[in-house]
Amino acid sequence: MQQHSQNREQEKVPLFPKWSYWYWLVIGFLGLLIVLFYFFTKHFA
Amino acid sequence: MNFSGLDWMVLVTTLVCIILYGIYKGRSSKKNLEGYFLSDRQMPWWVVLLSIMGTQASAVTFLSAPGQAFTDGMRFVQYYFGLPIAMVIIAFAFVPVFRRMKIFTAYEYLEQRFDIKTRLLTSFLFMLSRGLSTGISILAPSLVLHSMMGWDITITNLVMGGVLMIYTATGGAKAVGYTQQLQFVIIYIAMFVAAWWAVKSLPEGVGFTDALHIGGKAGKLNVFTTGVTENGFDWKDRFNIWSGIFGGLFLALSYFGTDQSQVGRYLTARTEGESKLGLLMNGLAKVPLQFFILLIGVLVFSFYQFYKAPAFFNLALEEKVKSSEHSPAYTEAVAKYDVIQEEKRQTAISLAQALHNDDEATIDKLRTTIKEQETASNQSREAIKEIVKKAVPGADSNDTNYVFLRFVGDFFPKGLVGLIIAIIFLAAWGSVAAALNSLASCTMVDFHKRLSKKELSAEKEYKWSRYYTLLWGVFCIIVAQFAYSLGNSLIEAVNIIGSWFYGAILGIFLVAFYLKKVKGSAVFYAALLTELIVIIIYKLDMFSWLWLNVIGAVLVVVLSLVIQMILPRKNGEQKEKALS
Repeated sequence: MQQHSQNREQEKVPLFPKWSYWYWLVIGFLGLLIVLFYFFTKHFA
Repeated sequence: MNFSGLDWMVLVTTLVCIILYGIYKGRSSKKNLEGYFLSDRQMPWWVVLLSIMGTQASAVTFLSAPGQAFTDGMRFVQYYFGLPIAMVIIAFAFVPVFRRMKIFTAYEYLEQRFDIKTRLLTSFLFMLSRGLSTGISILAPSLVLHSMMGWDITITNLVMGGVLMIYTATGGAKAVGYTQQLQFVIIYIAMFVAAWWAVKSLPEGVGFTDALHIGGKAGKLNVFTTGVTENGFDWKDRFNIWSGIFGGLFLALSYFGTDQSQVGRYLTARTEGESKLGLLMNGLAKVPLQFFILLIGVLVFSFYQFYKAPAFFNLALEEKVKSSEHSPAYTEAVAKYDVIQEEKRQTAISLAQALHNDDEATIDKLRTTIKEQETASNQSREAIKEIVKKAVPGADSNDTNYVFLRFVGDFFPKGLVGLIIAIIFLAAWGSVAAALNSLASCTMVDFHKRLSKKELSAEKEYKWSRYYTLLWGVFCIIVAQFAYSLGNSLIEAVNIIGSWFYGAILGIFLVAFYLKKVKGSAVFYAALLTELIVIIIYKLDMFSWLWLNVIGAVLVVVLSLVIQMILPRKNGEQKEKALS
């Protein structure tokens, strides 16, 4: 178990220093999409 | 619908290529449970991603979504707003637990956390709902093809749900994952070609943005709606930003976090990080891809503003109505509909001209006209559907699933029709293959292996797993055949049953993760009680079904806390001792 935990710690996060950056990217992108959808709906209506 | 020799060639070649590719990729997996159900935990993140997407997107996704946008607009995209948030929560909270415990099924974790009865109950609920819904997801596209192409329903069911067993039973999760990757690429190339062809088919001088403006003025580009009416928030409104974010979040959490057909996909990843990356990439890609599929429906809508649209899209049912005693009433209703269509055509031509001339005053005037005409058109179609219901009692008068295929059959060139039919099979195969693999893994790991008194060799476990895959495949085809003979009632019942269970299953896992004081018996009885309450709420028709997921999950959490307080403390302590 201890070795497994070490492996987890050693596993490099792709592109960013931490997984939390990925989480914020996904949530931020959703927020951006919702804003874009709002203007998309308004523009074409 | 005409299906030429070229179409047959494209269809058969595509399907044969997928089968061969599945057999080729599946041959290298190890002949034990880990190899068969988890691809030896050696899948890269992009295969995991495409496998997750291929499992979620069934054939109906590609048939129904464009039709949904055609009739109700694009607001259905909001149903997916909770999905990215769910991907983050699962990557953060669920994946590390599942990976650390090296489990095969999500329900194994429940025995370690609670007790065997909670594990078996949850696994059983999953198998019941997934087994039945997979049968329906075989039948639904078969029905459309039966109606539009005149194909025999039994043979179509066998090809839709049976042929994929060649590679699913032999190659296991590895064959499932790699074929889903190839299926995904073919499906989206075909859908891009379909979108391009829809734009190309518009009248001269009418381009992509004109088509969007026409769709938008008719209220079809409603990708952002609040669900608020003059009487306040409408809890029965199916798709709006709130039901999408909250209801969709709980549904996605339950589906991706606790449904073995999805958990089994990301457990195949090489590392914990690659499991997370596959899920997070799904969170980034799903909403834009669904937006694109729905947009095709709006393009089809705009196309039909310039060309005569069918009054009713289900060809076979239309023929039945025409040969019934209700034929004169139907012909009269269609004639009225055609008059409205002609008025709509004139408005669309005027609107396209006004858009080109930047004539804001005319655009404003036509916006009102196009909406009024769309309302009249919808009312006319509803009247036609009423006649269909009377002419063919018990038949499904909802023709949403037929809109896109009718458009393809009437206007697409030879070869492309075959490719679109191929993607219906590929999408069905992707989701059915993952379902069979997950059903077999639960049967083998949660029941056979767990309850068997004899120790099985790795080779025997592998053999049994293949038999279970085949057995579940046969079961799902039987469900499809049975549902066809019983008609719509069973199809609706199966879809409803799914929405009853998801929230409760998620609630059990939330308690397992976050309420360490709650023990097995409390959560077990809370889940049973929740099911009862959810069914009562459903019967009283108080909320749109998306909210049932939220209610189910919250009820399990609250009730298990209450029951834990009521239950004698001694029971809990005994359990704790037994576990330690």
